[in-house]
Amino acid sequence: MLIEQCAYANRWRRVSPAAKALFALSGLVASFAASTPMAAVAVVCLLAAVTWIGAGVPVGRYLRVAAPAFFFLATSCLSLAFSLNLNSDGQALSFQLTPAGLQKVDEVSGRSLGALAALLFLVLTTPLIDLIALLRRLKTPEVLLEIMILCYRMLFVFSDAVHDTLTAQSARLGYATSRLALRSLGGLAANLTVQVWQRAHDLHVAAQARNNDGPLRFLEPTFAHTGRDVALAAAGGSVLIALAVVLS
Amino acid sequence: MTLLELDNVSFRYPDGSVGLNDCSLAIERGSRNALIGANGSGKTTLFQHCNGLLRPQSGVVRYAGAAFDYSRGGLRQLRSRVGLVFQNPDHQLFSASVQEDVSFGPINLGFDEATVRRRVSEALQAVGMAECADKAVHNLSFGQKKRVCIAGVLAMQPELLVLDEPMAGLDYKMRTEFLTVLDGLHAQGITLLLATHDIDFAYRWADRIHLMAAGQCTASLDATDLAEKGDALSALGLPLPTVIELHRRLQAQGLLPHGCVPRTHGELLVLLETNTYVKEAACR
Repeated sequence: MLIEQCAYANRWRRVSPAAKALFALSGLVASFAASTPMAAVAVVCLLAAVTWIGAGVPVGRYLRVAAPAFFFLATSCLSLAFSLNLNSDGQALSFQLTPAGLQKVDEVSGRSLGALAALLFLVLTTPLIDLIALLRRLKTPEVLLEIMILCYRMLFVFSDAVHDTLTAQSARLGYATSRLALRSLGGLAANLTVQVWQRAHDLHVAAQARNNDGPLRFLEPTFAHTGRDVALAAAGGSVLIALAVVLS
Repeated sequence: MTLLELDNVSFRYPDGSVGLNDCSLAIERGSRNALIGANGSGKTTLFQHCNGLLRPQSGVVRYAGAAFDYSRGGLRQLRSRVGLVFQNPDHQLFSASVQEDVSFGPINLGFDEATVRRRVSEALQAVGMAECADKAVHNLSFGQKKRVCIAGVLAMQPELLVLDEPMAGLDYKMRTEFLTVLDGLHAQGITLLLATHDIDFAYRWADRIHLMAAGQCTASLDATDLAEKGDALSALGLPLPTVIELHRRLQAQGLLPHGCVPRTHGELLVLLETNTYVKEAACR
């Protein structure tokens, strides 16, 4: 929901998604090109600064969205830094912090952070509906797009249903004790299964009522100044990649 | 001229429950129709027959005099003429943005992009949602979602618009705005059929009132005749519209002369005021 709010409320909402995607892609390339931690940090800082200052995404919100990814990155870095050794007679296990491991951590974490910043830039400035429209223009298979559209829409219908059922259960003390909570949770899952099935059927009928006989097709949003935006994004992206290469 | 006609239509759901039982109903072109019936009386089933979503197991449904053609092409043509707006907007809206969702129908009809864009903006204009075109569907209020649903059907430019309990869940202001939208559509020549539980509203708004019980259309009345045909309503356990009852009581008290029955509370008040004025003038 945080991502969703940012995507709709940022300053670059009306900028062509093609331009934003191009810049994000350049960010990804730059992260891979950055072979030294120094270069990677520069790329990360630049991407984050563009998201904060350019698109006007609040820093606090940005960090909150990034937090789960940081956590995963941290755990995987730990596993890279330490290596598990079996001593010579095969009797004892030992952890070792190896220099080679540490270097690997520097490299991988720098690149991952860069890639993360590039993707965050894209998702925090572009609503999914624009991204889907872009993917359609890029000739992504229709089936995948339909699944994306329906999943995205159903996500909200589903979360509403979960919320409503949870509230109704709590109002009747469904979560008063842990025993009751377990029971209620079971009820919630069962109820949702039926509801989702019903909803899917309803949507199918509604699609038929509006003359649908196969692929789900919609009007694509249009953006003013697409050409100018893409050119700017290309320039910005090139600077990013050049910076990464020079610093490496 | 009859636009849509159900002739002894019966439909039974696979679980054995009766949807429609020998139901006959006629909708005149250009009229405003209200369908009144208890929950489970078959209103939604009837509506799904109007659009060819359900196929009668016996009986015939006709559009403009010709029996429904349930072939692919026939249904396509039928569904472009009969628009169906569902009761729960969340069951109908499945695209993420307002504009996209409204474009769904016209694109399915195979129009080119320019036509689709024009129709979408016209439809959103008609329901007063033009400024929300780029919003995400889940960020809209219930009333707004409902309007987007109507726009989605209007963009297909139907001749008959069927609305399943459009007033359910709307606040007073929304209802008033919604009525303005409906009046606008009617002025454009669109025939309207809606289901409602509000007998006062039906009496005030509709030209024809159809009553339903147990999968059957028990009566089709002109709204102006409703005052005399109270038994049809009481057979379904429905009261007379309050304005009729009040008018009768006032007549019995000698406060109003016998004459035509007002349709709305406002009309009754005007009647009462002019009548008092006449009486006072006579006293002087």
